[in-house]
Amino acid sequence: MASLVPLKEKKLMQVKLGELPNWILMRDFTPSGIVGAFQRGYDRYYNKYINVRKGSISGINMVLAAYVVFSYCISYKELKHERRRKYH
Amino acid sequence: MLSRVVLSAAAAAAAPSLKNAAALGPGVLQATRVFHTGQPRLAPVPPLPEYGGKVRLGLIPEEFFQFLYPKTGVTGPYVLGTGLSLYFLSKEIYVITPETFSTISVVGLMVYVIKKYGASIGEFLDKLNEEKIAQLEEVKQASIKQIQDAIDMEKAHQALVQKRHYLFDVQRNNIALALEVTYRDRLYRAYKEVKNRLDYHISVQNMLRRKEEEHMMDWVEKHVVWSISAQQEKETINKCIADLKLLAKKAQAQSVM
Repeated sequence: MASLVPLKEKKLMQVKLGELPNWILMRDFTPSGIVGAFQRGYDRYYNKYINVRKGSISGINMVLAAYVVFSYCISYKELKHERRRKYH
Repeated sequence: MLSRVVLSAAAAAAAPSLKNAAALGPGVLQATRVFHTGQPRLAPVPPLPEYGGKVRLGLIPEEFFQFLYPKTGVTGPYVLGTGLSLYFLSKEIYVITPETFSTISVVGLMVYVIKKYGASIGEFLDKLNEEKIAQLEEVKQASIKQIQDAIDMEKAHQALVQKRHYLFDVQRNNIALALEVTYRDRLYRAYKEVKNRLDYHISVQNMLRRKEEEHMMDWVEKHVVWSISAQQEKETINKCIADLKLLAKKAQAQSVM
C-alpha cells in the first residue's frame, strides 16, 4: 500500500493516479448503489445552485448548456457530413 | 391536563418492565434506558444559504477557475477556453451550420434579456418567496402561541387546585348555617306544641268554671221565681199600682206649677 489511510475511505481527489482502477472497482455497483450515486449527485447540485434564497439563472443555465453539449455529441455522426472541408 | 398525559406515558412505559421482571422496582428499567444520546443533527433545521455557488459567465462554476489559478493565474481558464474553441472550429469538431447563426442570435437575445431584466425578476420572485415564508412563519407563531396559552392555562389550573380549600370552607359554613336554622325551627315548633297543650288545659278549666257559674245562676233564678208565690205576686202588683198613682199625682201637681 502506498498510503497509510485505507483506500476505501478516500475521496476521489485524494486518490493517487495509480490507485484509480482499484478505487473505481471498490465502488458500490449494485442497483441501489447506482441509484444512490445519482441521488447524491442530484442532491449536491440542487442544494448548491437551486435550493438557495437568491438563486441565479446559472443554476438552470448550466443544466441547459450540458444538455446542448450532450445532444451535440449525440448528433455528431450526422453533422459530420455537413463539414465544409473533408481534411483538416 | 398535560401532567396526566405524562403520567399515562410513564404508565405505558412501565408495562413491559412489569412483564419482564416482577422483582425489579418500577423505576429501575427507566433509569437504565437512556434517550437522546446522539448530537441532534439538522435540528433545528439549518437556514437556507443566501446565495448559490458562484458561476462565471453563467456557465462555468468558480471552482474551475480556482482549480487552475495556482498553475496558470487569472487568465488561464479564459486562454484555455479560447484555445479550445479555436481548436474545435479549425478541426471542425464543431461544424458551422445554419443552426449556428440561430444559436448565436438566441444566445445573444437571452444574454440581453437576462442582463436587463434579471434583477427585477429576481426581486419579484424574492417577494413571492418572502410572502410564502411570512405565511408559514405566521402559522408557526400561531401554533407556538396556542401551546403557550395551553401551558399558561394548565399552570393557572394547577394554581387553582391549591385554592380549593376556600370552596370547602364556604360549603362547610353553609351546612353549619342550615343545621342551625333547622335546629332553631324545630325548637320553636316544640315550644309552640307545648304551649298549645297547656292552652288547651286552661281553656277546658275556664269553660268548666263558666258552665258551673251559669248553671248556678240559673238554679238561683229558678228557685227565686218559684219562691215568689201567687199571693205575694198580687200584693206586689197592687202596691206598685198605688205607688204609680201617687207618682202621677205628684207629677200633675208639679206640671201645674
